Amino acid sequence: MINLNCKIETPKNIDELLKLLAVENFNSKILAGGTDLIVGKIQGSKRFVDTELLIDINKIEELHKIDLIDDKIIIGASTTFSEIENNKIINEHLPLLKKAVSKIGSLQIRNRATIAGNFVNNAPCADSVPPLLVYNAELELISFGNKRTISLENFLEAPYKTQLQKSELVSKIIIPVPDKNIIGDFYKLGRRRAVAISRITLAVLCRIENNSFDDIRIASGAVTPIGKRFYEIENFTREKRINNDLLINLSQMLGEEILKITGLRWSSAYKLPVVQQMFYQLLNNIVIKK
Amino acid sequence: MKIKFYLNKKEIEIEVDPTIRLIDLLREKLNLTGTKEGCSIGECGACTVIVDGKAINSCLMLAYQVDGCNVITIEGISEDGKLHPLQENFLKTGAIQCGFCTPGMIMSAYALLLENPNPTEEEIKDAIAGNLCRCTGYKQIIDAIEVSAKELKG
Amino acid sequence: MNKEFSVIGKSVIREDAFDKVTGKAKFADDYKFDEMLYAKMIRIKATHAKINSIDFSEIENQKDIYVITANDVKGKNLVGLIKHDQPIFCNEKVVTPGDVIAMIVGEDEDKLEHLAKKVKVNFTPLPTLTDPTKALDPDSVLIHPEEKSNLIIHHPLRKGDIEKGFSESDEILEQTYTTQLIEHAYIEPESVIAIPKEDGIKIIGSIQNPFTTRRIVSLATDLPLEKIEVIQAQLGGSFGGKDDTMCILSARAAVASLKTNKPIKIKYTREESILESYKRHPYILNYKVGYTKDGKIKAMKIDILADGGAYCSMSPFVTWRTVVQATGPYEIENVHTDVRAVYTNNPYTGAMRGFGSPQPIFAQESLMDEIAIRLGITPDEIRRINGYKNGSVTATGQKLQNHDVNILTVLNKAVALTNFSNKWKEYKKEKSVLNEYEFEKPILKKNKFIDPKKLYQKGIGLAVSFRGCSLGAEGLDETYCYMSIEKNGLVKMLTGLAENGQGLRTTLIITAAETLGIIPDKIQFLETNTSLIKDSGPTVASRGTIMGTGSVKNAAEILKERLIKIVKKGFHLDDNDVIDFRENLVFSRKKGLLTNFDFVCQLALEQKENLTAIGYYKSPEVHWNEHNGQGDAYFTYVYGCQVAEVTVNIGTGEVFLNKITAVHDPGTVINRLGALGQIFGGVTQGAGYGIFEEITHEDGMIRELNFDQYLIPTAKDIDEIKPYFVEGNDIYGGYGAKSLGEPTLELTAAAIANAIRNATGKRFFNLPINLEELVLGKKIRPQNLNRGSL
Ligand code: FES
Ligand code: FES
Repeated sequence: MINLNCKIETPKNIDELLKLLAVENFNSKILAGGTDLIVGKIQGSKRFVDTELLIDINKIEELHKIDLIDDKIIIGASTTFSEIENNKIINEHLPLLKKAVSKIGSLQIRNRATIAGNFVNNAPCADSVPPLLVYNAELELISFGNKRTISLENFLEAPYKTQLQKSELVSKIIIPVPDKNIIGDFYKLGRRRAVAISRITLAVLCRIENNSFDDIRIASGAVTPIGKRFYEIENFTREKRINNDLLINLSQMLGEEILKITGLRWSSAYKLPVVQQMFYQLLNNIVIKK
Repeated sequence: MKIKFYLNKKEIEIEVDPTIRLIDLLREKLNLTGTKEGCSIGECGACTVIVDGKAINSCLMLAYQVDGCNVITIEGISEDGKLHPLQENFLKTGAIQCGFCTPGMIMSAYALLLENPNPTEEEIKDAIAGNLCRCTGYKQIIDAIEVSAKELKG
Repeated sequence: MNKEFSVIGKSVIREDAFDKVTGKAKFADDYKFDEMLYAKMIRIKATHAKINSIDFSEIENQKDIYVITANDVKGKNLVGLIKHDQPIFCNEKVVTPGDVIAMIVGEDEDKLEHLAKKVKVNFTPLPTLTDPTKALDPDSVLIHPEEKSNLIIHHPLRKGDIEKGFSESDEILEQTYTTQLIEHAYIEPESVIAIPKEDGIKIIGSIQNPFTTRRIVSLATDLPLEKIEVIQAQLGGSFGGKDDTMCILSARAAVASLKTNKPIKIKYTREESILESYKRHPYILNYKVGYTKDGKIKAMKIDILADGGAYCSMSPFVTWRTVVQATGPYEIENVHTDVRAVYTNNPYTGAMRGFGSPQPIFAQESLMDEIAIRLGITPDEIRRINGYKNGSVTATGQKLQNHDVNILTVLNKAVALTNFSNKWKEYKKEKSVLNEYEFEKPILKKNKFIDPKKLYQKGIGLAVSFRGCSLGAEGLDETYCYMSIEKNGLVKMLTGLAENGQGLRTTLIITAAETLGIIPDKIQFLETNTSLIKDSGPTVASRGTIMGTGSVKNAAEILKERLIKIVKKGFHLDDNDVIDFRENLVFSRKKGLLTNFDFVCQLALEQKENLTAIGYYKSPEVHWNEHNGQGDAYFTYVYGCQVAEVTVNIGTGEVFLNKITAVHDPGTVINRLGALGQIFGGVTQGAGYGIFEEITHEDGMIRELNFDQYLIPTAKDIDEIKPYFVEGNDIYGGYGAKSLGEPTLELTAAAIANAIRNATGKRFFNLPINLEELVLGKKIRPQNLNRGSL
């Protein structure tokens, strides 16, 4: 029998929750799906050794829903991957997010794991991050008497480090509804056909007009220390005519950008060439689909 | 902490330590040892049970979190001593070798058929991808689920 | 042979399946006893170290906590299945990170976890030996200095004149292959409970071989065998893996139980299981083959090094099978083989499904394809030229007889089922379609980008094998079966062979049902309990079926003989009448239907006839000369051929397994459902071995300690497996049934490797052929053990 050996609180509403978070002298962590936290706690992971209090947010309805309000899609922080995968709004407007979350872990995991839980600890292999980045996701962070909005990109600071303050909670993910003409794709490479940690993830969104990229957004995961958008490549690409040379060129640029960030490490021997190949394939698929 | 929930269609009320896992509540406190533990980190699926209609890993859920929920384990799917079609077909197709993965596998299949009475082979594979079996190579398990789906539809 | 049976070969539901689908089946960890205590292992983070002192002072005054060390071992602290080189508690030194120094015992698992951290072990690290190729260097670190060398075993084999063979060859090909360390990955982690009895001890556990366990517990506790009762709980998979480890865990639990006089449970987490349990041997295999222009192999020189890790375990037997089968099923005049196993500080290796065969098959079948390609013929042709036929002589000088030597039959069947030759020619690449990448220049040149239409490449490959049945010259090979018939017609039976989760009992029940002419439901299998029956040897080496059916059939025949007498007497029949038992009914040749089986059993009671019998089966003589590796190694063999059809993503190195066709000759198929299950399961394990399974370690410390890192195939990893049986005749075993469990696994990786070669035009020499191996032709790994998620 395993015991987590810490205190647990189960606030019923946001107010109670924020009060708990505001208590300074407790080392607390939010418990949502628990798929990362419980494992970490059992395995004695450094991230959780000092955790004295778990604040279970599962009872708070407001954090657990998907809405389309005006031109924004709002995903509650404790919405599970399964709920996202099967949601109409997401299916219609955010197909890359659907594809990404449907490839995470097993069904049992997706039935529990939550969207915010996927990125709050900023692990490089969080599969929801590249799609959220290309969808320009913003986060609402709340704390007692305070509320702020921050882009996901700025939120993700460094590996295993975010902008989240101790008394704060990610309450929602806010995504502007993408333009109807936007197309794109998500790519994941794992070692096994299912339930595999990502080796490489890529997300691309673009609008193709008169055989040129009118808008393009590119993000990767697992190949860089944190999930990342590639603005330089995006800017370079705009209004360029699409042909094979351009696609190759973009793929090389992606390789260069990643190399700049990571330098040559043990995994580069494999990941660098493969990420260029697969980015090239992904672009080809998108262009052909169009 | 006192919790109240439905376990295999019976309502129970019990005092639990809030920091123990659901699997420990089932196996150690309630003696429902049909649910197995193979990895403790959500990778093998041997501990799969159904909470409010969804398959979950009971090694990754805290016991008190089932408060107010409807929980089904392998001990609760046959009625009046009659095997559930899934159980029956696991027997008939040879879906069982050592049997350690079987309870979790059947629970995943049960949850699938609750939601999708007409699964394709691919959908069945997706539903049990989180249940590792080292013995059977899965084929006869998939057959059992396919046949059960047909039977349940009548 | 007439293969018309009434029960044999049909699909029969396993006798234990009902409990397993309802959750009632009791596995070791499902047992609980009053006052039961738990035990927690004390280990140190070291690969090789001398232990200076162990300080328990911080926990000594804790109430109801016991410390168990080597001092509590009343018998021998050094045990082992073959060599006694493995300590129950390592009080002097550790030689591999899984080693256990001591144990603390108490009621609350969680508290023990906490207290374990307070045990202070003072140790001095010693130089480590983790590269098996250095193990025999004169200045190498010695793992067990008392052994004087790191050599565990050397099996030489000499047939013909190797130099003459090479000189008669037109071409010579020399290649080196390597295989990886593999975890059994049974889904049930190890668990055992020792319960004190009035004058002895009872052990219940996830135990593969109750009799071996009893022997080791007896050694450790100094209790005589009869005071130790070992009961096998439902076993949640084993694949050869719950033997040595479980013996030692049982001994530890027994020692603690004797000291505390309480039931003691040891249950391992997955991490502990992977850390401490033995694995499949990594091999380095060097093959030099000489052949003529017509494809006839003239000479084969083989040098194999197996990493035995820190303890001897079953290494001598595992490598013995290797030396017998290393050439593959090919008749070669001149063979010169050396197989060595050595000690290192790595995780130790022992028995695992396949048992010394998957490694040489990968090498030898890769080589056969390479020869075919060089000669411009197809893989099936080269095998037809060299494959065994009836009467062929093996590398050990054994003439193959008394059974159908079906290697070419299974090959031809598999080739026909898959349209092999045509596909192989169609997919064949003249040169490698894979890119070469330079580490220093990671940005790809324009011409390196893969045309999207060429990203996915198809391939087909095959592999064949022969496999000796049962123990062979490894050891004494006999089995027993007790059988009795109750007056209500219920048959009870018991064998000394343990069920390992594979369905052996069902197979044996079917055999008894066939012989007695009754339905399987009337037969009940009793729990394997070491106090009730004589040791029938281990359930290893796929010997369960061939040996078990032998003794069961013998017992059933003895009883049937008596039943016939009873019938004749009871029904006043002529002595020369022929009595038939079929589906619970009894017929006379002259009078037709007489009665049913149950009635005859009642008659037996009236006639005061004894309806109990002991069946016995002993394998035919085999012999072996250990100096030249010549002799009749096994009394019979089985044959198999598998064909893998794959699609390779040449950009990422992913291998998609589209279809595996498995054609096997297991002799007679006794239980069709079970036999199919063996194929599906074996192929799936073999596929994991081929493309992603691998235990890696950094200076002996294992990286993959749970299923998040150690990947085994899921339901989605193989699209289709197509089994097919060719049932060859054999004079041995009950009804000619031989073995299947291991042959199904040993071929798959080799077939996949050949399919990848066909798809990409490039040969891969190192298993597993994972993403990096395929793209870069080598393995790359992180320098430290930190896991991504921590
Ligand atoms: S024990 Fe819960 S998933 Fe393995
Ligand atoms: S039957 Fe043994 S793990 Fe599935």
